[in-house]
Amino acid sequence: MEAIIILFSTGIVSLFIAMTRKPILVLLTALIGVTVTAIVMSINWYTPMQWVKYDGIETDYFTIIYGATATLFSFLFILIGYSKFSKEVYHTGDYIAILIFSLCGALCLFSFTDLFMFFIGLEILSIPMYVMAGSNKKNLLSSEAAMKYFFTGSFATGVLLFGIACVYGALGTFQLKEMSEAIAAMKNSSALLQVGMILILAGFLFKVGAVPFHFWGPDVYSGSPNVVTGFMATVVKLAAFCGFLRLFQLGFNGLDGFFVEILIAVSVLTMFVGNLSALRQTKLKRLIAYSSITHVGYALICLLVKNEHTPAYLWTYFFAYGFSIVALITVSMIVNDENDDIDRYKAFARTNPFAGFVMILALLSLAGVPPLVGFFGKYLVFSSAIEQYPVLIIIALINSGIAIYYYLKVILTAISKDDNAEKSTVSPLHAIVLSISMFGLILGGFVTFWVN
Amino acid sequence: MILSTVFEAGISIQYYVILSAILFSIGVIGVLIRKNAIVLLMCIELMLNAANLLLVAFSSYFEQSDGQVFVFFIMVVAAAEATVGLSILIMAYRNIRTVDVSLFNQLKD
Repeated sequence: MEAIIILFSTGIVSLFIAMTRKPILVLLTALIGVTVTAIVMSINWYTPMQWVKYDGIETDYFTIIYGATATLFSFLFILIGYSKFSKEVYHTGDYIAILIFSLCGALCLFSFTDLFMFFIGLEILSIPMYVMAGSNKKNLLSSEAAMKYFFTGSFATGVLLFGIACVYGALGTFQLKEMSEAIAAMKNSSALLQVGMILILAGFLFKVGAVPFHFWGPDVYSGSPNVVTGFMATVVKLAAFCGFLRLFQLGFNGLDGFFVEILIAVSVLTMFVGNLSALRQTKLKRLIAYSSITHVGYALICLLVKNEHTPAYLWTYFFAYGFSIVALITVSMIVNDENDDIDRYKAFARTNPFAGFVMILALLSLAGVPPLVGFFGKYLVFSSAIEQYPVLIIIALINSGIAIYYYLKVILTAISKDDNAEKSTVSPLHAIVLSISMFGLILGGFVTFWVN
Repeated sequence: MILSTVFEAGISIQYYVILSAILFSIGVIGVLIRKNAIVLLMCIELMLNAANLLLVAFSSYFEQSDGQVFVFFIMVVAAAEATVGLSILIMAYRNIRTVDVSLFNQLKD
């Protein structure tokens, strides 16, 4: 709770500081605020602070792990985006503050204990992102992306709310603990509860972009500004997944029966549709979007396994995925190409050896090559489910194989020879972010072992 | 006379569930088939209001205040969403001079 309040105040303060028209001051305020938030969260780990009493929020081990990860990624994205934000002196504060507000929603989703906080957190997470998707005001593609994101997002909210209302009708409470007790005490399953759970599940699949509801993903990802695409792919997805995992595990005692069959089907379809569409993409951000759909398919496996380690495995997966996206988005900011074609990255690794090296590491990590952190995420998720759902895991492995093809295609473009290629300039902030993500990609595996 | 008997007996919960399900379906169908962005926004509001009606009905059925409190949260969120949505619409209108969503087709494979 303290962390959320500090983060929110940081957002407000950085809006006021933006009035000085000095972007560097806004950046410093935001970074200090985000760092203090992370420190307060880790103090909470050892000695829970009780300045503010509110039952809707409960800090546990996973809140802190997820919260620290989301904070780290937001920190990196503010650093990456600074070169772009600071060009518009009048709006620097707005961009940074909106990203921070979105992170507030993510923190609510990591720690809620009732449906009030769940719903509010989900909306605080989403509404700033609708604004950020359209932050490139003069660009038609950006406003189209914002419009699509807004309509699909608020449609999903409507479906989710109707689901919550039905669940309330069936159980008579909004507290997760009382909900799970009411379900356990129930003799016959009630139709209202089933309908409500299906609607909530549909809202969830909409928000994370799983297959029957994935159509908005690639359009929104490719139309939004690069930093926003990265933020959506990492922090928003992490928060949405964690929030719904908490809801299903703590509130609904895990999913079973009919819901498991739905989720298996969705997971398999998501992997195949994402992968097969990614094969023919010529733009990097669209490729990232389709590959993120595939990764959602893998991560959905976590929801199927009833196991106390599931949150840790899901965390590992998104931790690994996030570093790759951070590196790829930084590279796309360095190249700074309007069309975002993959051909534009020709000989990139030769002209900019360090940035190229990190880019190749990021793609290999997405593909799941062993020493890198992406391998650990995949390994933990797949190995946790292999006993219960062997066929599903075999399909997932086949899909990982298909995915290697399009990642390798980008790598080969990046290391191919081209005499006309120009060296792109790497700003110091981008170099810092690239080094951090390089360390994350190489050493992240050990961190995940330590956490697990 | 008839009205007072209806009020004394109360309206049973099923009618509220059916009414809000109908409102919700109208909202969903509207979002799926209409092309005008403003009408889309109204249909989404209709979906939220269907959820509100259901929550208030259950809240009075269980004789708790939780559901009514939730409705206030939903109203605030709906207002925030409408604000953001209308500003996005105006921004899009400045760029393309229309609010017909089927003309927003620049982003594709």
